[in-house]
Amino acid sequence: MSALWQVFQLIWRDQRTPLLRGAALGVVVLLAGVALLGVSGWFITAAAAAGLAGVGASFDVFRPSASVRFLALGRTAARYGERLLTHDATLRAFATLRVRLLQGYLRAPYDRLSRLRGPQMLNRLTADIDALDGLPLRLILPLIAGIATQLLTFAVLWALLGLAIAATLALGFIGGGAVVLIWAGKAGYAPSRRAELAAQAFRSRLIDLVQARGDLAVYGQLAVQKAAVLAADHRRQTARLAQDRIERRAGFVLSCLGTGLATAALVLGMVLAQSGQLSPALAATGFFAALALSETAAPLRRAVAELGRMSLAARRVVEGLSAPGLQTEQSHTGQNHTATSLRFDAVTYHRFGAARPSLPPLSFTLNPGETLALAGPSGAGKSTALLLAAGLLPATSGAIWLGNHPLPDWDEAALRAHLTLIPQRAALMAGSIRQTLTLSSPDATDAALWAALNAVALDQVIRAKGGLDFQLGPRGAGLSGGESRRLSIARALLRAPAILLLDEPTEGLDTATAREVLHGIRRHLPRAAILTASHRPVELDWADIVLRLT
Amino acid sequence: MTRQTDQATAKVLAGMIAPAQDKLRWAAILSGLAALIWPAQAALVATALAGLLTDARPLWSHVAGFALLGGLRALLNHWAEGLAFTAGQRVTSQCRAAIVTREAARSDGLAAGPLAALAAEKLDALLPYVSRYAPARGRVMVVPLLILALAFWQSWTVGVIFLITGPLIPVFMALIGWAAQAASQRQMAEIGSLNDLLVERLHALLDIRLLGAGEAVATSFAEAADRLRAQTMAVLRVAFLSSAVLELFAAIGVAMVAVYVGFSLLGLLGFGSYATPLTPAAGIFLLLLAPEFYQPLRDLSAAWHDRAAALAVAADWAEWQAQSDTPLLGQGAAAARLAGRADIAVTGLQVQLGPRLLSLPDFQLGAGQTLALLGPSGSGKTTLLRLLAGMLQPDAGQIHVAGQPLNDQTADGWRAGLGWMPQQPHFLNASLRHNLGFGRGGDLAPALAAVSMQEVVASLPQGLGTRLGEGGGGLSGGEARRLTLSRALFSRPDVLLADEPTADLDALTAATVTAGLMALAETGCSLIIATHDEALAARMDRVIRLEPLV
Repeated sequence: MSALWQVFQLIWRDQRTPLLRGAALGVVVLLAGVALLGVSGWFITAAAAAGLAGVGASFDVFRPSASVRFLALGRTAARYGERLLTHDATLRAFATLRVRLLQGYLRAPYDRLSRLRGPQMLNRLTADIDALDGLPLRLILPLIAGIATQLLTFAVLWALLGLAIAATLALGFIGGGAVVLIWAGKAGYAPSRRAELAAQAFRSRLIDLVQARGDLAVYGQLAVQKAAVLAADHRRQTARLAQDRIERRAGFVLSCLGTGLATAALVLGMVLAQSGQLSPALAATGFFAALALSETAAPLRRAVAELGRMSLAARRVVEGLSAPGLQTEQSHTGQNHTATSLRFDAVTYHRFGAARPSLPPLSFTLNPGETLALAGPSGAGKSTALLLAAGLLPATSGAIWLGNHPLPDWDEAALRAHLTLIPQRAALMAGSIRQTLTLSSPDATDAALWAALNAVALDQVIRAKGGLDFQLGPRGAGLSGGESRRLSIARALLRAPAILLLDEPTEGLDTATAREVLHGIRRHLPRAAILTASHRPVELDWADIVLRLT
Repeated sequence: MTRQTDQATAKVLAGMIAPAQDKLRWAAILSGLAALIWPAQAALVATALAGLLTDARPLWSHVAGFALLGGLRALLNHWAEGLAFTAGQRVTSQCRAAIVTREAARSDGLAAGPLAALAAEKLDALLPYVSRYAPARGRVMVVPLLILALAFWQSWTVGVIFLITGPLIPVFMALIGWAAQAASQRQMAEIGSLNDLLVERLHALLDIRLLGAGEAVATSFAEAADRLRAQTMAVLRVAFLSSAVLELFAAIGVAMVAVYVGFSLLGLLGFGSYATPLTPAAGIFLLLLAPEFYQPLRDLSAAWHDRAAALAVAADWAEWQAQSDTPLLGQGAAAARLAGRADIAVTGLQVQLGPRLLSLPDFQLGAGQTLALLGPSGSGKTTLLRLLAGMLQPDAGQIHVAGQPLNDQTADGWRAGLGWMPQQPHFLNASLRHNLGFGRGGDLAPALAAVSMQEVVASLPQGLGTRLGEGGGGLSGGEARRLTLSRALFSRPDVLLADEPTADLDALTAATVTAGLMALAETGCSLIIATHDEALAARMDRVIRLEPLV
């Protein structure tokens, strides 16, 4: 629940003015509805009384009928404006939330980032946020408008009809409505939460079934997985049915409450009219107003029954937003750092809970124009050393110096401007070759793009495919493994980093191409300090210094 | 969308809803009945209020009748809503079951993302349509006609007002409905493209960050999110505008009735009714009826928007249904191993791959023998492995396994003795323990030790309880590959099918994997290995070279 409140505060802070206006219009809509029915009921009954009394000709018909028209048109316009304002404000706030979540993911620590599952992240950014639209639109704003309308109507009815009718209606609607809605909220919380969890289980199990269909079939698990997917949907439907039943029951009780209070207003009005304390027309007004007041509580039932689902979504969104960023994020001292060298000073890395360190103490100094290759068997810590140098993992002990400043003093932007890592599994995205390359350097000219492609011996391949406008499919489809590898290197070269970190840069390339690419990299960045994690002889030959890790 | 495909889609939608027709009919009947109660309630209140004007004895029985009928109306609505909801659930859960059943019985299909979106989210858009549209239609059939008749009975003028203003509503509804459908198609397209964009970005998060492109990507995402907001608002604006227009028409109608009734009651108008002047009871009665004359039409038009969304889903559904199937042999369920030695004999296999007919060489492999399939990419190595696992059916030729033809009856039993190493590991959204053993008991340690993965697994945050990213994120490519081998080892197979087990691995890791494979062969397991790796192929008893396709 506190997560729901936090999300609402975020929305509120982002869109305070339109939401306030929307809430005000919401009150206008409800009040106009009450006034419309009240005035027309009064008008008809009063007109009938005047007609019966034979004084019809002197009855002022114009003011009541004009106000009926005004209220009807005003309500329509106010409702249109209210819906437009509140929906637009909510969608705007959600767009902001989505961007902030994505930024949160971009800052997430490497350990967490590498284990995030794509479909789940996508769920956070889309379904979870969508699930929250009921919070402002169907819960908080209607609640505010409903209570305000009840209180204002109470004051007006008290003045017109006396305390008995006004208090009966106000207490009945606010008290009764609160009891029903709180009950529905509590009773519906668990099923709506279950339904949401089951829906997500359904989704992720179905994705597993489709993506690992072959594996599952061979290991005789396809039938099991199918049953698990169907079971998740069954659980979801059962929970949804329970939630819907609660929502309908709340609707039934609210409907009965509305009829009951309208009846009460009618009875009180009739009694007061019989005793002459109230004119028949005013007695009718109370009844008609009560009919309209039902509108204040009825729309809330759905939102209340959805609280479980919404708070689940809210908790995940808040979690995503408050995920800890990198330590470099907080630093403001490094704005103007420049660096051309990298130094490791007895750096170790020990993954929490692991039996042995992922990287035993490592020291070296890498100067501009030098190429240093870290060699050693798989698991010796080559990739870990690169991740440490790129600031993706915090060193357990020792210090990494970038120029004259320790690595943690660098802020993210400055660090990325000076140092680029090409990870082992570099990822490409759908889009043209030009878009792929300019992701890292938006201002690069076509000549610069071709130069980078030339450095990695890819220019002819791309030219044959149709040049820089050649479109890559999803995840860079359309290129072979080796071509993708070279394209990701070209993308990094365009940033002209002072320090370039390469994790097995020529994996998947034949030896001749590998040699061409390696020399192309050096030719393109003659002054860069280059650190590689390598096991191929061609890479080790190319390096100035080879450091063996064991 | 042309008119013709529009009608085709409407037919698809009707087909999807067919199983729920019975329930929906009852929902429509109950909902219609509930709406018919209002005129009776209105008559009771009108006479009770009119009684006040004539100083007769208060009609308490009418008041009590009003309250009781109100309760009955709420009850009928409650039932109708329940029936409509379960009808909607039946539609969505049957569609989901159809998706899961078909996807589990074929070897290829739509990508997981769009499929999950269709099954998990889009189908839910049918719920509001199914549960609201039919009851609203039920009400439209009876309520306006009955109220029209009642109005003509009391006053022909009011009847004429209804008769003129009523039909305007469906006309406007249709006009606006078309605009709404176009807008919601644009919105659906925008949602799709935003999702695609996100999937790509989320997949490449680390690269984006390393290239310092975080801000640029966040900005372009913000623009895309804002475009989606604009499209969504376009849909909503049409919806809000249409309901405002309908409300306006209804309000004008009600105001005309109120003014006519008021003037009549005052005796200022001498026409339009049969009793002159109109009696007070009739006047109040007509006023209470007026809004209810328009309400069903407004409900139907609101449901019209749900219909637009449902049609979009139906179009997706039709597209999914139209896909051609490549069925999987057997159920993919656990089964007893086939009796007899695990010999394999392949004769005259041909498979249609898109436009190309792939012919595969004949061979026989005795139990315990090892075989390498060598050949360039696209020569059919993976296809042959999939045929041998019964994941694909040949268009011609036969596979005999353990002396029996490989078919629907024998496939599960055959696969019970198979091990499988796919080229791209996929990890289920479950613990590593489940991913390796699929819930079967037993000690995983020997299978992990055989591929030197014990230490790596121990250094994961929760060891065997860790949930990996779907592609094995958190591990290197070689480590993920070794895990799929240890999964195969754990199932103690008679035959292991491995697709490129050493591709993209460094020499040392490749040697570890090769050693693991050879150790398995020592135990009497047959190996069939698709590979480019000549060194690995040389270790096998036999080599088959597949010809490149022309």
